[in-house]
Amino acid sequence: MLFLLPHRFKRYGLFMIPLGLSLWLTMQLGFISKILLLFLNENSPIIHPINVLIAIVSFFAFLIGIYFLGFSNEKMEDEMIKKTRLDSLQFAAFVQMVVIIVGFLVMLLYHEPDKEGMLLFFVFLLFTFWLCFISRFNYIIHISIKQQNEKYSEE
Amino acid sequence: MKNILKNERIKKEYTQVQLAELVNVSRQTIISIESGRYIPSVLLAIKIAKELDSRVENLFQIEKSD
Repeated sequence: MLFLLPHRFKRYGLFMIPLGLSLWLTMQLGFISKILLLFLNENSPIIHPINVLIAIVSFFAFLIGIYFLGFSNEKMEDEMIKKTRLDSLQFAAFVQMVVIIVGFLVMLLYHEPDKEGMLLFFVFLLFTFWLCFISRFNYIIHISIKQQNEKYSEE
Repeated sequence: MKNILKNERIKKEYTQVQLAELVNVSRQTIISIESGRYIPSVLLAIKIAKELDSRVENLFQIEKSD
């Protein structure tokens, strides 16, 4: 498979995802502004740019973390792992397709779609794909390792 | 598809880890093949057969449902 990173990037991903997400949530909930107001004047021109910078950095840290987690080599990369990865990608694409169809139907039937709602829906779609892919792939690997350990204790 | 990989491996006195190392896959893959959850590629099937001094069609048999 193209563009697979070394195994150690998986750990970087596990570190970056919660960090990016928590930083982004902190910014969205206004805590960054509150902290900045402890040191700066309310009308300071740098409060907004700092918030924007934190939003961009945290969002990309989260996205890159997802890429690291999803596309790092396993310790022992073999054909079964490659097949599991491919199956998980197909599963994620299928789930995303279902969510697109259902989401559009719900929006058209029950709501007047507005610009912000559509944007939120597309962001949700983006993460649906990645979260489905990563959770299915790692779940199957986890189950496989669990069975391996059970068999090992039997032998 | 059914297989007699486990029997043949035990006959040759290989552990799953040893066979996995010989054919350059993980132990998980050998367990999955033995339990029938994973059908190996032609390349891997040939490698396994070679290490067990057997034939692919002897190790892996097609069932009517395949």
